[in-house]
Amino acid sequence: MIGRVRPLYIVALAVLGVSLALPTAPAKASVPAGEAGEEVTLEGIVNNTILGHAEDGYYLNFKPFAQVELPRIMLVRTADGALTLEAYGSTKGLLRGGPYGLTAHGDEGEGHADPITASAELSEAIGAKEHLHSPVVRTSGQVVADLSISRHLIFGLLAMLIVLGIFIALAQRYKKGHDQPEAPQGIFQNMMEVLVVFVRDEIAKPNIPDGKWRTFLPYLLTAFFFILVANILGLVPFAGAATSNIAVTGVMAVMTFAIVLLYASTDYYKELLTGPPDAPVLIRIILVPIEIIGLVMRHLALAIRLFANMMGGSLIIFSLIGLVFMMNVIMGEAAAWSTTIISIGFTVFILLLKLLVAFIQAYVFTILSALFIGMAVEEHHSGGEQEVESGSGLDGRAEERLDAVEDKVERRAQPTTA
Amino acid sequence: MTALFAQSLVTPSVGLIFWKTVAFLIFLYILYRFGWGPITESLEAREEDIEQSIRRAEEALQEAKEIQAENEQARRDAEQKAQRILREARDSAEELREEQKAQTRQEIQEMKEQAQADIEREKQAALQELRDEVADLAIGAAQKIIENDLDADRHRQLVNDALDDLPTN
Amino acid sequence: MDPAALAYLAAGLGAGISAVGAAIGIGRLASSSMDGAARQPEAAGDIRGLMIVSAGLIEGVALFALIICLLLVLFV
Repeated sequence: MIGRVRPLYIVALAVLGVSLALPTAPAKASVPAGEAGEEVTLEGIVNNTILGHAEDGYYLNFKPFAQVELPRIMLVRTADGALTLEAYGSTKGLLRGGPYGLTAHGDEGEGHADPITASAELSEAIGAKEHLHSPVVRTSGQVVADLSISRHLIFGLLAMLIVLGIFIALAQRYKKGHDQPEAPQGIFQNMMEVLVVFVRDEIAKPNIPDGKWRTFLPYLLTAFFFILVANILGLVPFAGAATSNIAVTGVMAVMTFAIVLLYASTDYYKELLTGPPDAPVLIRIILVPIEIIGLVMRHLALAIRLFANMMGGSLIIFSLIGLVFMMNVIMGEAAAWSTTIISIGFTVFILLLKLLVAFIQAYVFTILSALFIGMAVEEHHSGGEQEVESGSGLDGRAEERLDAVEDKVERRAQPTTA
Repeated sequence: MTALFAQSLVTPSVGLIFWKTVAFLIFLYILYRFGWGPITESLEAREEDIEQSIRRAEEALQEAKEIQAENEQARRDAEQKAQRILREARDSAEELREEQKAQTRQEIQEMKEQAQADIEREKQAALQELRDEVADLAIGAAQKIIENDLDADRHRQLVNDALDDLPTN
Repeated sequence: MDPAALAYLAAGLGAGISAVGAAIGIGRLASSSMDGAARQPEAAGDIRGLMIVSAGLIEGVALFALIICLLLVLFV
C-alpha cells in the first residue's frame, strides 16, 4: 500500500513543482525588463511563489492551465449613507465596472498613495496581475464588509461537499439495511465506519461523561471529518487547505466555544464565575479572571494550533520550492538545479509529514473540543467515569468474550472430529 | 525586501468568517439531519445485535454445558446399571450352573446307588439260586449215595464229583 | 538601529529558539515513551497514540511561536 502511495506523492509533487515552475519561468522571459519593472526579484519570489500560494486570495490558481477569478461581493456604505450589497463577477470586473481603485503595488500602508483608478493604469496593473494580490479600496463611500468568495472558502466548501457526499451516501446505505443490521460491505463503508467508531469510542465517549456524548457526537464527527478532508485537500495539487486560514479555524473554535457556553452545567458556571468553592475570597478574586482568560485562551489556542500547523506545513513546502528560484536569482542556474534535488527531497518528506499531521490535527482538534465540552457539561456530584466505562457498548470486553466462546466451541468440536 | 500583501496570512477576513459560519452551520445541520442519525443509529443497532448474539451464544454454551453434564450423568448411570445387570446375570448364571451341577451329581449318585442295589439284589438272587441248586445237588447226591449203598471211599468220591459238578462261583 | 532589522532579527532568533524548545519537548517525550513501551510492551499501542497526540500539542506550542515570528516579519 505504502509502496503504491509513495510514487503517487512524487507524481503529485512533480505536478506541484511544475505548476510553480512554469509561471515563473515565462514571467522572466515574456515581460521585458524595462516595461513594468517585473524582473524576477527575490521580493517577487517571496510574495508570489511562497506567500501568494500560502495565503488566501480571490482567485483559483490552476496556473499552467488557467487562473480563475472568483466573484467579489461587497457590503458597502455609499457616499449618501445607504447600505448596499454589490456583486461583481471577478476582481477585474470590480475594478473596471465599479467605483473601486487598486492600491499601488509596493506602497507601504493603506492611505499613503492614491489608488489606481485611471483605466490605462488599471489595465497595465491588471496585465501585470497586480489586482490579484493588492487590496482594493472604494473611491467613494466605504466598504463595510468584504464578503467576497475567496479561495479558502471554495476549498472549505469543496471539503464540505466531499464529506456530505460520502456520508449522505453512507447513510443511505445504512438506511437500506436498517431493519436488519448487517456487516459493513466494501472498503469504503468499512473505512468510514472505522473512523466514525473511532471518533465515538476514542474521542466522544471517554471525554464527555454521563452518556451526554450522544448530544455532541454529531458536532464532533462533523468537525473531525471536515478538518480531515480539508487538511487532505491541502495536499492536493492546485487545491489548498481551508484549515490553513485563521478565519476558518477561528470559526470552528468559536463553534466549540459556543457549544461549551450553551451546554455548560450550572456547576461549571458557578465555579468559573465564583472560583473554587473551598478557597478564600482573596484567592477567588485572583483566580476568577485567570479562569476566564484561560477559558478563552484554550479555545483561541485550539484555532491557532490547527491554523499554524496547516499553514506552517504549506509555508515550508512553498519555501522549499521557492528556494530553487531564489537560488536562480542569487547564484545562477547551476545552483538552482542542484537546489532542486535537495528541495524536492525535503518536500517529499514534508508532504508525508503533512499527511500525518492532517490526521493528527483533526484528531487533536476533535479530542480537545470533546475535552472542553466534557469539562463544561460535567456535573460535580456524580461520579461520571465509572458510568461511562460501564455504559460503553461493544468494546474490547465483548471481543474477549467472543474469543472465549469461539475457543470453547472449537474445543468442543475437536473431540467429535478427532 | 518586504512581504507586502501577505498580511492576510495571519489576519482573518470578515467575508470568510461570515461565509464559513453560514456554510458550516448549514453543513452541520444537513449532516445532523441526514448523515449521522442513520449511521450512528444503525451502528448502535448492530452493536446491540452483536452484543445480543454474544449473550445468546454464551447462554447456548451454558445450556450445552448443562446438557452435556446431564448426558454425562445419564451415561454414567446407564453404565452403572448395565454393569449391575451384567453382574446379576453372571451371578444368577453361576448359581444356576451350580444348581444344575448339584442336581446332576445327585442324579448320578442316585443312579449309582440304584445300580449298586440292583447288583446287590441280583447277587443275592444268584446266591440264593446257587444255594438252592447246591442243596438240590446235595440232596441228589445224597439220594444217589443212599441208593448205591456206598462205602466210604465211594462216598467221598461221589461227594467230590458232586462238588466238581458245581459251577465254580 | 533600524527597527525593521531588529524585528527580522527577533523573528529569526525566535523561530530558532522555538524550534529548539519543540525539539527538546518532543525528544523528552519520545525518550520517555520509548522507555514506557520497552518496559510494558503490551501498552505500546496506547503509548504510541498518546505520544502522537502529545507531540501534536508540543508542536502546536512551537507553531504559536512561529506565528509570533511571522507577525514580526509581516507587520514591520
